[in-house]
Amino acid sequence: MQYSWGQRVVAYLVFMVMAILVVIPLMAGLLTAFKPQIIWVSSPPIWIFTPTLENFEFVFVQRQNLLHLRNSLIIATGSVTIALILGVPAAYALARFRFRGSKGLLQWLISLRMIPPIVVVLPFYVLFQTFDLRNTHIGMILAYLTFLIPLVIWMMRGYFVEIPSAMEECAMVEGYSRLQALRKVVLPVVTPGIIATALLNFIFAWNEYFLALILGGRNTSTLPVATATYVGRARVEWGNLFAINLIIMVPVIILTIILRRQLVKGLSLGLVD
Amino acid sequence: MTAPTEVQQASIQTAAFRRWLYRVSQKYVHWFFIAPALLAILAVAIYPIVYSTGLSFFRVSFDSRERPFVLLENFIWILNDSDYRIVLGNTLLYVLVTVSGAFFLGFGMALLLRRITVGRNWLRLILILPLTIAPIVVGLTWNWMLDPLFGLINWILPGLGLPPQTWLASTSTARIVVMLVDIWQWYPLVFLIMDAGLSGLPRPPYESARLEGASNWTIFRRITLPMLRPVILVVLLLRTVDAFRTFDLVRVMTDGGPAYTTEMLSMYLYRTAFNFNKLSRAGAGATIMLIVIGIVSALMFRFLYREVERR
Amino acid sequence: MKVVLQDLVKKFPASDSIAVNHIHLTIEDGELAVFLGPSGCGKTTTMRMIAGLETPDSGQIFIGDRDVTYIAPKDRRVAMVFQNFSMYPSMTVYENIAFPLQVLKLSREEIDQQVKEAAGLVGIGHLLQRSSRQVSGGEAQRVALARAMVRRPEVFLMDEPLSSLDAKLRIQLRTEIKRLHRDTGTTIIFVTHDQEEAMSLGDKIVVMDHGNVQQVGTPQEVFFKPRNLFVANFVGTPSMNLFDGTIQQNGSGLCVDLAGLAQPLPERFQAAKAGKEVKWGIRHEAVKILDDNEPGDVSGEIELIEALGSRQQVFVRAADKLFSVMIDALYPARVGDTLHLRFDASSVHLFDAQTGLSLAEAG
Repeated sequence: MQYSWGQRVVAYLVFMVMAILVVIPLMAGLLTAFKPQIIWVSSPPIWIFTPTLENFEFVFVQRQNLLHLRNSLIIATGSVTIALILGVPAAYALARFRFRGSKGLLQWLISLRMIPPIVVVLPFYVLFQTFDLRNTHIGMILAYLTFLIPLVIWMMRGYFVEIPSAMEECAMVEGYSRLQALRKVVLPVVTPGIIATALLNFIFAWNEYFLALILGGRNTSTLPVATATYVGRARVEWGNLFAINLIIMVPVIILTIILRRQLVKGLSLGLVD
Repeated sequence: MTAPTEVQQASIQTAAFRRWLYRVSQKYVHWFFIAPALLAILAVAIYPIVYSTGLSFFRVSFDSRERPFVLLENFIWILNDSDYRIVLGNTLLYVLVTVSGAFFLGFGMALLLRRITVGRNWLRLILILPLTIAPIVVGLTWNWMLDPLFGLINWILPGLGLPPQTWLASTSTARIVVMLVDIWQWYPLVFLIMDAGLSGLPRPPYESARLEGASNWTIFRRITLPMLRPVILVVLLLRTVDAFRTFDLVRVMTDGGPAYTTEMLSMYLYRTAFNFNKLSRAGAGATIMLIVIGIVSALMFRFLYREVERR
Repeated sequence: MKVVLQDLVKKFPASDSIAVNHIHLTIEDGELAVFLGPSGCGKTTTMRMIAGLETPDSGQIFIGDRDVTYIAPKDRRVAMVFQNFSMYPSMTVYENIAFPLQVLKLSREEIDQQVKEAAGLVGIGHLLQRSSRQVSGGEAQRVALARAMVRRPEVFLMDEPLSSLDAKLRIQLRTEIKRLHRDTGTTIIFVTHDQEEAMSLGDKIVVMDHGNVQQVGTPQEVFFKPRNLFVANFVGTPSMNLFDGTIQQNGSGLCVDLAGLAQPLPERFQAAKAGKEVKWGIRHEAVKILDDNEPGDVSGEIELIEALGSRQQVFVRAADKLFSVMIDALYPARVGDTLHLRFDASSVHLFDAQTGLSLAEAG
């Protein structure tokens, strides 16, 4: 379509504005992470100051949020790995094989993604007490699997469907078993899809708050839950708080920047024909 | 041919067995791939859901060991609870406003992006950042921005001639502000998906429409929109279901206040279960929520697959 | 290697309707057999069962004297070339061709030698280091051919390998496949819906429709002696002239009454009974044009002429029917001219109007 010069300028302006609206809040908040306590809250806000790492030191050493960081890492990577191991083969089967009920099964599995966490959290809470899972990493990982597996299946199926079945069939005729064929021929092609899926799942698990709040124990709290310790009734320890926020945000942002193309494709897969 | 020896007979039998094994395994090969995931889901998702639904029919709380069967008492209680009705209303309003806001903003941005030639990828990257940030962090960041004393917003506003507000503490503004923040975080998702949808549209209808002298608006209304219908439906339903489940953002910004104006369904059920110790009543509420969302997503699939099949 | 299909049945998984309906077929060692038919006729499904990619619901498949019905594809010693897939995208041309050899645990040098040999045979020796993105469609299919050859299989299976190529390339590769067949002498089974391709390639044509074998024969047999209406219609472009008619008593003998036009009943159909409803057909190349009107000939006016290079297709309306005739382009035909047509008795086909079977068969 042809667009007039005026329309283009308007478009650029709008995007500039929206981009600023994204960047300013994030940057401003994160700057606070490097502010010394005296200027955590100041009106008018102070932009020029000598940055300090004392908030980080406080948060990780004195308050031992390193533990929370470790928990977040373990739970996020653990649940994503298991979800991939279970979900990718299932996605492959649902993409390739047309058996009775495959469409229904697919719809059902994908709709599981829509479950409100509250529905899952209540019985999990009771079950955790029964099976004594309350303070374990495994417990949290299992809870997250409920949402991650459907997401993996949804996304990976989209990727598998794009690959002609002739690819692995050819390898099967040429002397390989199906599993070998999948490993040698299909896997290299579908790897970007796996990366995107892993990233999206990781973002979910890493950022998750609700389940971690209710089902986590003293030893298994994740970073998002830890933020609560800096929000008091009377006052908020803003600098410390944003130190934690930074740790929560930055890894994901870095991964997103590196893998942006895969991520953009993955988010729209399965939704756009 | 002489009669086969014992060894030969045994090997014939194993060969026949192996052939039978192959035949059967090929017929059900798909189950081998699906079984692990299916079993995990059944254990981890279905069992709890069934349990939770069952829970709603009993009276369960943390302090008593008794679990009397009370059938629909929990459901009746919760549906009659005036708080529940308020919360439901809040939630519906929230869903309506945030989903349509995110939709129009995201769709609009996607359309605008078509008019930009340079720097598309960078703009996309910046715009999707809010999606990658934990909702709780988003809430905390905006809490800081909106703080009446030192927040950036109140600092800028006098410069524009508008009075500063207590955004999150005032009953008239709290709702709107929270909804705006939600839109801020989620419109990029609509943007991305609609952008992908627009990119995937075929060229020929547009070229022939141009030849016939159609205006931009007519083209949009008659060609673009109909072709995008399935994508629009999916994205709307996706956001609707997600908006229903909002917890993190609202909890950390207003925690339901002031005066229950921003109390959402998930928060209300959480409180009922853990603060008020009415586990099974919360279970009943959760079951209702599940049914509603189930209906909504079933409708989505019906629409979506009908569109796809029609093609 | 000889391939025998015995009573092969396959149903569609989702709907239980029949895809392959009790097929019996023998393909001799070294033959180039073509499965010909429209989309959905079961030819691809049959081939996939021979390859082992689908398992039949009942029946047996023999390659040589081995019963391979329930043996995995990798152990069947066949090679396959696909329609919509030619190169593994993650490998270079060299790696593609070497891929089947890697299961065999050969030495590096042996693999190298065989890859270069196969590549040379299809003329891509200079492309060995290219990646899948740097190769054209035709070159990619040659890679697929080389990869198939390198295993020295007992049977080559080709599932519409040329359908996605442009016309010139298609004819080029077709000739190469024929040469390949001649040089290696391996049995080839080739699936296509393009009857011209089938006729030019095959030693034996298997015409299929709706899961059934309609006719098996040489290209000449299938063209000149179609067993039923389907084969008569499907083979040959443009399609055969076909008209409804009834067998009538005419004086001393029988004739065919084509709604106002009486045609003599050819010798070989003399066993037919009067009153039988038939379809009468003649191929447009078999219609002779005469200068003078002689008894028994049909005259008509030219309604339409289509120029087709060295020939022209002329539509003649005679006795209220439109006959399509193929004549030399140099013949001075013009719309409105009168033409005299003679139908050579040996080229006339008669089919039972109900069953579609050729009357020469049914008797």
